[in-house]
Amino acid sequence: MREETEVIVVGAGPSGLSVGACLRSRGISFEILERSGEVGSSWRNHYERLHLHTVQRFSALPGMPWPPGTPTYPSRAQMVAYLDAYARDFELHPRFGEDVRSARREDGGFVLRTEANEYHTRALVVATGYNRVPNIPTWPGEASFGGSILHSSRYKNGDPWRGKRVLVVGAGNSGAEIALDLWEHGAKPALSVRGPVHVVPRDLTGVPSQLSSLFLFSRLPPKVADAISLFALDRLLGDLTPYGFTRPKLGPISQVIVEKRIPLIDVGTLELVKQGQIDVVKDVRSFSPGEVHFVDGTTRPFDAVVLATGYRTGISDYFEDAEGWLDERGYPRYFGEPVPGAPGLFFIGFRNPLTGALHDIAVEAERVANYLAGEKR
Amino acid sequence: MAELDHWHPVLFADELGKKPAPVRVCDRELVVFRASNGQATLGALADVCPHRGMRLSEGRVEGGRLVCPYHGWSFAPDGEGKSPATPAARPCADAFEVVERYGLIWIKRRGVDAAFPALDVSGYHFIGKTRHRAEAPLEVTLDNFIEVEHTPEVHALLGYPRERMAEVTCEVTSTERSVRVYNEGPQKALPRPLYSLLQIETGDSFVDDWTTWFSPVYTVYDQYWFDPATGQRRPNALRIAIFFVPVTAGQTDIFALSYALAAPWERYGLNAFAYLLTRAFVVMELRRDVTLLGKLADKSPELRGRTLSRFDKPLGLARKRIESIYRGRG
Ligand SMILES: Cc1cc2nc3c(=O)[nH]c(=O)nc-3n(C[C@H](O)[C@H](O)[C@H](O)COP(=O)(O)OP(=O)(O)OC[C@H]3O[C@@H](n4cnc5c(N)ncnc54)[C@H](O)[C@@H]3O)c2cc1C
Ligand code: FES
Ligand SMILES: [Fe+2]
Repeated sequence: MREETEVIVVGAGPSGLSVGACLRSRGISFEILERSGEVGSSWRNHYERLHLHTVQRFSALPGMPWPPGTPTYPSRAQMVAYLDAYARDFELHPRFGEDVRSARREDGGFVLRTEANEYHTRALVVATGYNRVPNIPTWPGEASFGGSILHSSRYKNGDPWRGKRVLVVGAGNSGAEIALDLWEHGAKPALSVRGPVHVVPRDLTGVPSQLSSLFLFSRLPPKVADAISLFALDRLLGDLTPYGFTRPKLGPISQVIVEKRIPLIDVGTLELVKQGQIDVVKDVRSFSPGEVHFVDGTTRPFDAVVLATGYRTGISDYFEDAEGWLDERGYPRYFGEPVPGAPGLFFIGFRNPLTGALHDIAVEAERVANYLAGEKR
Repeated sequence: MAELDHWHPVLFADELGKKPAPVRVCDRELVVFRASNGQATLGALADVCPHRGMRLSEGRVEGGRLVCPYHGWSFAPDGEGKSPATPAARPCADAFEVVERYGLIWIKRRGVDAAFPALDVSGYHFIGKTRHRAEAPLEVTLDNFIEVEHTPEVHALLGYPRERMAEVTCEVTSTERSVRVYNEGPQKALPRPLYSLLQIETGDSFVDDWTTWFSPVYTVYDQYWFDPATGQRRPNALRIAIFFVPVTAGQTDIFALSYALAAPWERYGLNAFAYLLTRAFVVMELRRDVTLLGKLADKSPELRGRTLSRFDKPLGLARKRIESIYRGRG
């Protein structure tokens, strides 16, 4: 079936829903296409222990604060309930089961194809998330390992691994928390850390780190902010090198700005690493039956491996000739603003500043809606 | 699984300094110590030297090892021992697993894979901890904490008013691993200034919603208020976790950790003051519970032959799970 629309939003996660709500309040007609059967599918599928690491007051979508009774860091289940309520309150009815397989520019507009339909639209908002496609690295000998190897996107909780030795690869937020979750479920986890990483407690002496960065660091030159935060971290956490964490040359604030890398926001893993309950190991080199070999020449037996190796945007997988708008890592170069040379095209939700992705999405959604409203006039 | 196969809190972390500390749990005497050899390692051993039976808790920590004060044999956190006078000897002390979390020191038997008690306090603010000893067996102690019928008699602030107890609802649901009780009813009258401090109104409904788990035995309470006319929740709520730790067959320690939803720095620090009071209230109310438990004439956990009320349904459900999950029988 062929359809003509003004605006199409691809993705019904926080980004797509926010844009929908902002367009509705400006009286602009639009359609949201979502590949899954519900809104917020990313959050429905994340591991169970996950909470927002950003403060709910600064993680609300446009026009709807979190309900009373919500803790500072809402749980995954609360996030899902919030997104359901958001879609309900703003009467957003995405077309579910519409997986956009291809998108291209045509005659100053865009043509999108799903399995059953073809959409012609004047404006296109890409809100498919920066965690659309799991990064799944491979290593020599992996096929002979014998135990299960799964990406963090398929990890739910540690119940199946009680008493098992599990290697978690990747010391990002997911990796560190999954190692903690495994330990809490009675498994014996080890965390493979590649390269230097900044570790920041979620709360700095009781105050959420997101708030410190929002109010303090966004107003200071990065060098000064780096110095202040390193001073605080030294005092709070001490030297982490004996435990396997080395510190990057670039300070934590500069790293966010320059390398777009957020630090490891610790929710309790470090305490267990320091007590020898969770081992920190090096980068993986190869696998053999029941064993993993590391780059420092050590070998350890494991029953299972969880790959917390992150995601990519996967935009160019379905968007023809998108490369020009993407950086070398596949992230759009333009956020919440018109893409030069491609009128009507917007990307939203592909940044992850220290102040929180959701906070950013709320700001971007309003801007995107304003641009679309302005164009219409 | 038997009792010590589950993680038990035995001490507050700030009670354990450089000196080894004796603890008693499930009728076993243990010694807990910080083996500060660079790493923040903890050790827990049976509090009896394998040589000639000295109390190791009378000893000292040296170079990451616990040294017996009698003949100077020393033991690593994993129990591996050395005898200075007989280097070839390989003595071995009975070692337990030990970990520090939530400001508590936890122990369990080695070689068993128990899940750590789940306590979701992400985004809650810690307001206080307290410990009390009840002179009553585990089951009988727990009983007091999983029904609200005693609150009008025993408690000053917590719970429901005596004259309106009949209105209080009590819904009990259970799974194989847990027993949940949801109570809702009018908030008992409080001293006037507390209403604004706790951000509640006279006439509010009070919800006490808790779930008890059995590996180890602990209950997590959610307590909050709402306006019965609109159903609108009040801004704050408490989450309190209570761990029930048998010391001997007739004594039970309770460790309570209290958390609040609203941040202490909100309302210009008024919350911080409210939490100071809340902490004192929790201590006071728990004291009332344990004092009362000590006065029971019949401390037998047996429920058969007793006349039970509509609030007592969780007691039987908890008994069954303590037997099967916690004590590992049947
Ligand atoms: C583990 C984890 C924890 C996080 N925690 C926080 C946090 O605490 N605070 C914070 O601010 N941010 C956090 N984030 C950032 C997170 O990206 C945002 O919170 C938010 O989910 C981003 O919303 P989004 O709508 O851009 O992407 P998503 O939530 O991923 O939504 C994208 C939607 O697009 C759909 N979709 C994808 N491709 C297609 C297609 N081709 N056709 C149709 N539909 C498609 C997907 O099914 C999905 O529903 C976290 C991210 C992860 C991975
Ligand atoms: S009794 Fe301990 S060393 Fe002899
Ligand atoms: Fe009580």
